[in-house]
Amino acid sequence: MLFRPSRRQIITGMASAGLLMAGPRAFAQAPKRVVIPEGEFTPLPIAITNFVAGTPGDAEVGVGVSQVITNNLKRSGLFAPIDQAAFIERISNPDSPPQFQSWKQLGAQALVLGRMTRQGDGRLKAEFRLWDVNQQQQLAGQQYFTSPEYWRRIAHIISDQIYERLTGEKGYFDSRVVFVDETGSKERRVKRLALMDQDGANVRYLTKGSDLVLTPRFSPSTQEITYMEFGQGDPRVYLFNVETGQREIVGNFPGMSFSPRFSPDGQRIIMSLQQGGNSNLFVMDLRSKSMTRLTDTPAIDTSPSYSPDGSRICFESDRGGKPQIYVMSANGGGAQRISFGEGSYSTPVWSPRGDYIAFTKQGGGAFAIGIMKTDGSGERILTSGFHNEGPTFSPNGRVVMFFRDPGGNAGPSLYTVDISGRNELRVPTPGFASDPAWSPLLS
Amino acid sequence: MNVKVDKTVLASVALHVLVLGWVMLSFSTKALEMPPEDSVPVDVVSSDQLSKVMAGMKTGKKENPKPLVEKIAEAKPVDDTVGKISDKAPVVTETAPPPQPKAEEKPVEKKPDPPKVVEKPKEEAKPVEKKPEQKVDQIGDTIKKEEKKPPPKPVQAAKPPEPPKQQRIVERHFDQNQIAALLDKRDPTRQATTGDTMNSNAALGTAKGTAADNSATWGAMFQRQVERCWKKPYGGIESQKPEVAFAIRLKRDGTLEGAPVPEGVPATPFLRVYQESALRAIIECQPYKLPAAFYEEWKYFAPVFKEKV
Repeated sequence: MLFRPSRRQIITGMASAGLLMAGPRAFAQAPKRVVIPEGEFTPLPIAITNFVAGTPGDAEVGVGVSQVITNNLKRSGLFAPIDQAAFIERISNPDSPPQFQSWKQLGAQALVLGRMTRQGDGRLKAEFRLWDVNQQQQLAGQQYFTSPEYWRRIAHIISDQIYERLTGEKGYFDSRVVFVDETGSKERRVKRLALMDQDGANVRYLTKGSDLVLTPRFSPSTQEITYMEFGQGDPRVYLFNVETGQREIVGNFPGMSFSPRFSPDGQRIIMSLQQGGNSNLFVMDLRSKSMTRLTDTPAIDTSPSYSPDGSRICFESDRGGKPQIYVMSANGGGAQRISFGEGSYSTPVWSPRGDYIAFTKQGGGAFAIGIMKTDGSGERILTSGFHNEGPTFSPNGRVVMFFRDPGGNAGPSLYTVDISGRNELRVPTPGFASDPAWSPLLS
Repeated sequence: MNVKVDKTVLASVALHVLVLGWVMLSFSTKALEMPPEDSVPVDVVSSDQLSKVMAGMKTGKKENPKPLVEKIAEAKPVDDTVGKISDKAPVVTETAPPPQPKAEEKPVEKKPDPPKVVEKPKEEAKPVEKKPEQKVDQIGDTIKKEEKKPPPKPVQAAKPPEPPKQQRIVERHFDQNQIAALLDKRDPTRQATTGDTMNSNAALGTAKGTAADNSATWGAMFQRQVERCWKKPYGGIESQKPEVAFAIRLKRDGTLEGAPVPEGVPATPFLRVYQESALRAIIECQPYKLPAAFYEEWKYFAPVFKEKV
């Protein structure tokens, strides 16, 4: 087999090979790099102006919206709203660019302007603009229409927009919290199911208080709540629709059913059923009402919680002697213990982000709230004291709410803490409050 | 003209060329990128010379009479513009009150005093009456005038004794207007030992020489200033290891010549926020106070913002 290249072909081949080898080496003149490795986290200074009244008579709601946004951002711990008394420029038209220099003087890095206008049909139009003071650029701008009585929700939605644009994470302000409201003396405590905005406003009561209610849980996808109620006999798991006010018993089983929680799609409820001296995990399909057993052990398995993708479950079990946290497939099967610290672990709850599991840890005479990664590593105690219990994640997984009982004659209150352990704050409630559960974002 | 070539041979040659070419390229890259070093002057010393040096013989021939580095200046006679204290003649007085303490207290007004004191205490009043204001107002003028005619008053009063005259000649006085004359004008005995005095082998430097890199100095200054404005966004407890860089051009007064140019597009919302926070800081903290001497270095550089490790 012979190949006969012409001389021309040979020369061309050699030349191209040479070119290939002596390929151009471009040395681009790169600027000298100076590394700025420091920089502690600092709350972002932000100026939030009162929303201008587009129509007379809406000045009050404009101030209200501004106050709700200010309160939300301040409570998040990530922003430092600047006192309005220091403002130099008075905003009369939020559509024209502000005098950035006057805001720069205050040290503001972001500026919020807005307007509330009553529409002809009685609805309220809310407009807002978020400005970057240094770059003199608009970062966000939106308008919303709503019934006048829902102006607080508009304020929460705008807060979420600002939060997301300036932190890169989803917000959590447009959400609600269901909790057990407690009134009366310690011996005759009346416990009612209550619902409120995440900032403590708009409290309303869902039950009358004649029966004891415990462990309310929000559906991750619908406006439904499941909870446990001690009626005339054994405690039962109930389903409650927030919008319609309807409630129903989930299944009818012999013995106690407790610690219910929704699956991520809201179509199933996972719970514990007591059988003799032990309890096991069951999942019930809300449509077909069919029950599936997930564990079958002589121990107490309880407090199950789904991972956000619905593939796994974390739960509490004393099968190893003391209550510890276990993780297993959502279809049952072998469970893997993930908590190995001193003391006992209970009430595990999976973060909506899927990265952490929050828990109550008991040991050394104290109750602590902590988080750990889903494989049990990176355990971190967020707060510790006489009695802290019942963690629940904010919709963005950045904040944990729990209740704290100081002991004595006082009752429990709700608190929030960042998952880094910073910024612990009390959530205002009308009376004592326990067992909070955070809803998903409403919008 | 066609050449008959076996196809396998051709393939073999092509492969060799490729492999060898690749080897040349990939193996030579590091050698090419070696930074050139600054040249250092070296004297070649033979082993013979070295052994002589090491021997340290007293009688040995002086190999290097002229030191390269240090040059010792010739000692020049010092001309003292003021006069030395040691030259001062000893003051001889008999019974008179010691004039020395007075001279120390008020050296400016001192000159004609001793004779008066010695002669008559009354006489003192006269000079005081004559020009009291001038003395207060202009010390220098007074001194000059008095210097011009020091004898008259003492002569009029009486014949002063000899010793005071001697003293007047050697008296030192301090004149504020002639401070320059007090400076030591002797030549320094040490000479400058930099530049070509030190190193006779002049080097042009290298293209990639690190000698001119003062970024550690001005970079740290820039960092301290920009950090004051940097409100780093909160990235949670997960280590996201963000890192964003910009190319910035500064004017001589430390203000930005144009908007900082970010390197690359942030991949996540958090990185975008991180980049924006750094950008805000760069803009907010100008003008930067950086050493003007290194302007050529900091007029164009790339600040890199990253998480503390």
